[in-house]
Amino acid sequence: MAELTGFLRIEARKHREKSIASEIYSQGAWKVNPPIYLDSSGQPCLYMVSLGGGYAGGDRYKAEIRLSEQAELLLTTLSSNKIFRSRGKPVIQEIDIYLARGSVLEYLPDNTIAYQDAHYEQSTVIRMESGATLIYTDLITPGWAPDGSVFRYDTLKLRTEIYLDDHLVVFDHIRLCPGAQNIQGIGLLEGYTHYGSMIVIGQQATPEFLDKLHESLDVGQSQVRLGLSMLMIPGFTLRILAFSTQAIESVFQSCHRMIREEWFEKQPISFRKY
Amino acid sequence: MLNTDTSLSLLSLLQLCDSNFPTGAFSHSFGLETYIQDDKVMSKQTFSEWLQVYLQEQLVYTDGLACRLTYEALEEGKLETIWALDRKICVQNQAAETREGNKRMAERMLYLGTELYSSPTLALYRERIRDKECWGHSSIVFAWITHHLKIPKSVAIISYLYASVASLIQNGVRAIPLGQTEGQRLFQELQAPLIHAVEQINGLDPEDLGITSPGLELSQMRHERLGYRLFMS
Repeated sequence: MAELTGFLRIEARKHREKSIASEIYSQGAWKVNPPIYLDSSGQPCLYMVSLGGGYAGGDRYKAEIRLSEQAELLLTTLSSNKIFRSRGKPVIQEIDIYLARGSVLEYLPDNTIAYQDAHYEQSTVIRMESGATLIYTDLITPGWAPDGSVFRYDTLKLRTEIYLDDHLVVFDHIRLCPGAQNIQGIGLLEGYTHYGSMIVIGQQATPEFLDKLHESLDVGQSQVRLGLSMLMIPGFTLRILAFSTQAIESVFQSCHRMIREEWFEKQPISFRKY
Repeated sequence: MLNTDTSLSLLSLLQLCDSNFPTGAFSHSFGLETYIQDDKVMSKQTFSEWLQVYLQEQLVYTDGLACRLTYEALEEGKLETIWALDRKICVQNQAAETREGNKRMAERMLYLGTELYSSPTLALYRERIRDKECWGHSSIVFAWITHHLKIPKSVAIISYLYASVASLIQNGVRAIPLGQTEGQRLFQELQAPLIHAVEQINGLDPEDLGITSPGLELSQMRHERLGYRLFMS
């Protein structure tokens, strides 16, 4: 393994009535705050913290996250993932996740802000056993350049592979290069500035649930452009184009709330970061 | 003087790319209909912009690259590579209708391909789809038939892109609507972008497979919930 800027290993397991973070190992510029239980459901919440205050050219971060059977975990970050000048020396973030049968991972990190000349490549590989549940989000915000313009970042590449019982079931490969594309044009960001994606996999993700979710998200509203579609397995993808981070977060929250209520009879949570 | 072998493969290629070749492509707009209903594609100019983005941002990295990689795998006799590619190109598509559309077109093309040509490996792909070991993608079938017909690789790729764009233009002319002559002019204007696309596809890394762009994909997803629809995707 080449020298990493930051490395994390997190393991959660079920212990009696609650889930516990059974291992937290951190090295270099990435760490994890001690688990916090946000409600009485027994599900811990972990906040990942980047000590450098942001990612710079050539940085490499890697995390390994493992949930054993029936373990439940909320995973987020303490603040935005800021990508600074890295053109020609991409910032790499690799996350490997393993979800055993019956486990539940709700992964809702803060947004990634790409500043001028940022080149960021994110690769996430998730292996699930059937009966596990996953909520996985990404949110891309363009950072303001000193001259006040947005879209001065170089390249953003988000690659996500999800395997269910060793079969590839999701392969998501988004690339944004404002220098080479008409980024706000038709087919790209359609005049919007922010991009959000949520992938949900779970036995209860039926077409009927998706219809209900679609109705509740009020897709007609003009401040965001939403798309929802079923995956090849019980699960769906939600995509959002918007003009602000908050608009996307609010859609994520609605969706997250509905899943928690309907699938797990759990209360909505607030990460209480601010 | 035409060489008989060359003439035969040219004729077979023309047959395969002919809009009369019943693949069902005329039923799929691949998200175009969403743009038409949103009044974003309403003229030759806006249609041309959409087509170029669709070609450049989606066809190149999905269908086009899959076509090339299938062809190369066939040259090397590596069927396992194709089965993996089939999986990847299908799950890459987050819009259920588009995924289904490509599968249906693949099945129709496979049916005709196995009726018209005797390629045992092509028949194997059909069996694997029937047995649900493969999903099915039109670009893979197209590469297979053209490889069987000994059409050179780059010609195969540009022909696939041509056939895809041709049916989209036909669909656009009907749905926007545009005049037939405008459609043909648009087609002619796309020649340079098509040639450029093939050069690009030939230079891509296999790791670039499946790169997609948010707006196109989102419109393909939104198509599912349009109030009335002329097309299945």
